[in-house]
Amino acid sequence: MTPLRLRQGVTLAWLEARRAFLSRRSLWVYLLALFPAFVFFMHGLNVKIQKDRLSARGVVSAALVDSVREGESEGEVIARLGKPASDFAFDRRAKRNRALVRRVEYFDGSRRVTLTFSNGVLESRRVRTIVNLDEDRAVFAMVFQNFYLRLAVFFGCLGIFVNLFRGKMMDKTLHFWLLAPLRREVLLGGKYLAGLLAASVIFGLGALLSYRIMLWQQQPSELLAFWQRHGPEHAFSYTAAAVLACVGYGSVFLATGLLLRNPIIPAAVLLLWEGANPFLPPMLQKLSVIYYVQALCPVVPPPDPDMPAILQLLFSPANPPSKLVAVAGLLLVTAVVLWLAARAVRKLEINYSTD
Amino acid sequence: MNGAEVILEDVSKFYGDVLGVNRVSLRIPPGITSLVGPNGSGKTTLMNLMAGLIHPDRGSIRVRGIPPQEPERLMRITGYATQYDAAPRGMTGFEFISSLLALHGHSRARAAELASQSLQRVGLGEAAHRKVAGYSKGMRQRVRLAQALAHDPEVLILDEPLNGLDPLVRAETIEMFRGEAQRGRHVILSSHVLQEVDIISDQVILIANGMIAAEGQIRSVREEMREHPAQFLVRAKDASGVASVLFKEDHVTEVRLSEDRQGLLVHTRSREAFSAALTRIALNGHPIESVAPADESVDALYKYLIGGESS
Repeated sequence: MTPLRLRQGVTLAWLEARRAFLSRRSLWVYLLALFPAFVFFMHGLNVKIQKDRLSARGVVSAALVDSVREGESEGEVIARLGKPASDFAFDRRAKRNRALVRRVEYFDGSRRVTLTFSNGVLESRRVRTIVNLDEDRAVFAMVFQNFYLRLAVFFGCLGIFVNLFRGKMMDKTLHFWLLAPLRREVLLGGKYLAGLLAASVIFGLGALLSYRIMLWQQQPSELLAFWQRHGPEHAFSYTAAAVLACVGYGSVFLATGLLLRNPIIPAAVLLLWEGANPFLPPMLQKLSVIYYVQALCPVVPPPDPDMPAILQLLFSPANPPSKLVAVAGLLLVTAVVLWLAARAVRKLEINYSTD
Repeated sequence: MNGAEVILEDVSKFYGDVLGVNRVSLRIPPGITSLVGPNGSGKTTLMNLMAGLIHPDRGSIRVRGIPPQEPERLMRITGYATQYDAAPRGMTGFEFISSLLALHGHSRARAAELASQSLQRVGLGEAAHRKVAGYSKGMRQRVRLAQALAHDPEVLILDEPLNGLDPLVRAETIEMFRGEAQRGRHVILSSHVLQEVDIISDQVILIANGMIAAEGQIRSVREEMREHPAQFLVRAKDASGVASVLFKEDHVTEVRLSEDRQGLLVHTRSREAFSAALTRIALNGHPIESVAPADESVDALYKYLIGGESS
């Protein structure tokens, strides 16, 4: 690569990336990238509202809440814990039995404890954590793998990378690039770099932002402990996974836009293939982008409990590769796809009337 | 001379089953060369082949010694204004041209300077910083011309460059082409406005149905015509009588009577024999009011050679 070619590639990448970042067409890509951040923000907001509401009515210590045992009398418990955050009494009639039920709620700063007394005796004690880091991390892993990687990054890359050639063909402006003194391979490389820059920044930052927002309302002590142990590594892993997904999907969609007139059908097939990945034989699972990208995710999402039995039988995710193998494998797949794209771009012709 | 010519050797291009151009061989010297032909005749295909936007199915092309498979070298010496009425969205004329110049390796300042100069040359100096999307058709035509001229190419390929230009700009543009030709540059343009071709071209290439019908200097193409059957318009009160006599002449291939029955369109294989026959006819008591060649104009030549429309 001569310095001039390098400069040409960078110039082209910058010109195209600017358009990818700023065009009106990119609006929905931003929406896709920011959707998980929005969901976690709404969740955080809900947690904050609940915390503020319950805190305003008084916070009891966690030790006091934990000291309550079933069978204790209503008077003892109320005297020990103080005025509850909420208090509700009603008559319960079951068959011929009639009971006076009182349900009170306490808040210890992170947990919401509901105590139900029946005829003055503690019948049940239910503890709900308003915010739970482990639970939220598992939800994040699920959202990240099932929505962000499989749908948001997938469709975002489809929009960005297909537009680099096919979109320009539709606009009848592709020939301007071919009239520049560029090797076709430099044109391809520059465009890929532009798409990668745009997609990586949008989806990488989208992942990072979602992760940060997910941690927003966590308990400070728990958050600090997590951040000191795994926090930065996990945040980096998610960002890297998003960027690597852009690397892989980007190359596939760039080639698709070059090789095929209508990229929608192959995109639908690929979406199906990627979605069906854990149900495929292990060998075939390796022929996908998601297989390698998932290996970089730090948390394995719990299996969907609502999955139909027949699918549960078929569900057999292959052992994930090591991170090094995952990155190398993805880069290898990308290199092969880009090599095919380079062959296609050399033969590329401008024939707008048929496109 | 080869290194300074645009050479096409036995070039064919098909779009599936549809013929683009067939077995075209050309040597185009520097100067203004016009490709003339009706819509769909293959003019744009030839230009796209020269610029490397499409690839020939057979044959070879060299533009001043450079094959189109080497765009890195070719596009440094070639500027192509296509007929595609499009420019990248959301860009001003200046941004459009300076960004393409940046790909030539120019610094930002130099690219800006060249873009401004080029836009000034085509009379778009004042509109340079307006969005191309807001340009009129003529302005979009000129911005494409500016893009082709911006890097001062040795070979200018211009597809219908005068379309949509007002008379004043058209005259200035033609003058610019002449200036480029005088500098030893190639100016290869396509047009179906034959009067323009006649006025500005050093050489003309007539193309029809993907094949070259005639080529050379405009004068030599006319000479070539002399070897082909000629057409004459004859006015005579007794046009039917004149027609019946002419029919007996061996060199006359066709005679058509006009609707007013006082005019004839005569096709002859020999101008000299036709002239002698007319003299005899007049002397034999058939007064001839006027005789005019029907195919003396370039337009007629064009119609004859390619048998298609002329506009």
